[in-house]
Amino acid sequence: MDFSEAANRISRKFAKCGQTPDVKKIEGKLRRLVDEFGVQPSEAERSVTNELAKEFNLPAPGSGGSAGGGGKGGGTEEKKIADGVPGEWVTIEGKIVALSNPPSPSIAQSGIIADESGAMRFVVWAKSNAPAMAEGSWYRIESAVVDEFKGVANLKIHSGTTIKEISEDRSLIPSPVPIKDLHPGIGSVRAKFIQEWDASHERMLQSGLMGDETGTIKFVMWKEPGKEKLVPGAVYNLFYAQVDEFNGRLSLNLNTATILQEEGEIAVSGGEVAVTGAIVHIAPGSGIIKRCPVEGCNRALSRQNYCPVHEIQPKFIYDLRIKGWLDDGEKTHNILIQRDVVESLTGISLAQAQEIAENNPLGMDEVFLQMRDTVLGRYITCHGRKIDNRLLVNKCDKVVFNSGDHTALLNRAGGAPS
Amino acid sequence: MSTNAKDMGRREGAFEREPARRVFAAELRECRYQFKDGEDEKSPTFVLLPSGERSNRIFLVGTLTERTRQGEQNIFYRGRVVDPTGTFFIMAGSYQPEAMQQLAKIETPAFVAVIGKPNLYQKPDGSYLASVRVESITLVDKDTRDLWVLDAAKHTMDRVDAYTKEPTPDILKAKEQYPTIDPLLFRKIAYDALAQIKI
Repeated sequence: MDFSEAANRISRKFAKCGQTPDVKKIEGKLRRLVDEFGVQPSEAERSVTNELAKEFNLPAPGSGGSAGGGGKGGGTEEKKIADGVPGEWVTIEGKIVALSNPPSPSIAQSGIIADESGAMRFVVWAKSNAPAMAEGSWYRIESAVVDEFKGVANLKIHSGTTIKEISEDRSLIPSPVPIKDLHPGIGSVRAKFIQEWDASHERMLQSGLMGDETGTIKFVMWKEPGKEKLVPGAVYNLFYAQVDEFNGRLSLNLNTATILQEEGEIAVSGGEVAVTGAIVHIAPGSGIIKRCPVEGCNRALSRQNYCPVHEIQPKFIYDLRIKGWLDDGEKTHNILIQRDVVESLTGISLAQAQEIAENNPLGMDEVFLQMRDTVLGRYITCHGRKIDNRLLVNKCDKVVFNSGDHTALLNRAGGAPS
Repeated sequence: MSTNAKDMGRREGAFEREPARRVFAAELRECRYQFKDGEDEKSPTFVLLPSGERSNRIFLVGTLTERTRQGEQNIFYRGRVVDPTGTFFIMAGSYQPEAMQQLAKIETPAFVAVIGKPNLYQKPDGSYLASVRVESITLVDKDTRDLWVLDAAKHTMDRVDAYTKEPTPDILKAKEQYPTIDPLLFRKIAYDALAQIKI
């Protein structure tokens, strides 16, 4: 753009109205808008003109054109266990990998049967007069029925079923699946015991959290003769555990499982996710907050230091947090950023925030405003765990301009035929 | 089961916040059609982008070149925010006191990030004006502006790609509402915008 020509053009417009603006100053303003701020020349000219018009109390010269099924198949169809669908009659060959105490006198035996394709729970009805099967042995089971019990496929052995023991010794090595791929039924995982929880029931032997590279899952083991507690921190192969679903969450019941401790190590992911986007909202309750000092409470207090459980708490503890929304253009994620991450993201430490809160006339609001102004509208990547639709952020990086991304996008836009 | 009372009663329910779309000024300017999703008085209003996506909220970063206060009883602020492709018209009134005060504080010219709701107005001469009602506006640096140009270019091209593939109901509606607009135009606009960033 020829700045001096444009500056003269503007100055002439005002000369007509009897004003004499500073041409050099106009040129400087244009140059700044175009070179420094990347404003288009026509828009820059318009903007400077309007600014001058306001200065001279003249009406703005024009607004500038900007308006702009499964049937009941044959009784002896031979199937792999993983292919058994509820409602089918099947014949399978499998190994009894677990036997559990029958929950009712009308059941003779129950447990888990497996082949190389997968595993399934089974029950043998007392009325069926079937021979007792032994754990660790292989059997050919003809004309059993797959049905559904508590949403999970289950093999029923009834009076019409024939059971033959297979004497040849076949090897069966269960293949563990990643925790995130588990589904209700029977599953095998290789996982690390990462957290032990207090038993919440007197019949419970142990409960806690197992994790692998893909996620974590809760487990429980009930008291039973011969069951031993697991060691926190150790890595286990858990073969043929029962995977239950409750309230949309899975858990492992280890009572049926074959548990083998091993020496290895697993880098547990903890369900880590990373989201990159722009912060589009900072919610009230962000900034510096007061927390209830009562042991184990830690609730956020109201401005009057009121805890919903422990009432007025004048000896509160200060904390920092940011609650807000991170938006990637397709989806908006609710984020909660904890203190140390807030400190590194905003550059305001808890001590500085406390100083502001206690000495600034706006108090805690001032901390909120300062944090909002440094964070809102910025691109960041948040790492953390997703719990109930909220991302608990434990690490956060500002996105920096990457010329590789720029080039890739230019190439994608493809030289744009004119 | 959990003994930790903190975990209770925190469920957000099924609430999904409307995402903020990234759209260049040149595309927003072409919008002619807005609609409500649902019969309810509180149902969200969407502006249909010519590239075939509905937008209840947008995020933009550009240069605030002008800011004016208007109105006597009901004060509101208007502003112009420039991106590499054109101009966004933004406004904040007394129903958005936070946004209005933020806008009032900023001296032009300056790089700003704006989150707001797009609205279409028909002017007396029959033409349409798309303006953005500001939810919040903050001062940012040039890096953030450049990041936004990349982001907006990427999303614009994603929309153009989707438009030429399997049509969603919104894409079909866009074809019906904007029969004369070829979204490939927006790919070229994205290219021009990217090309303006100096390395």
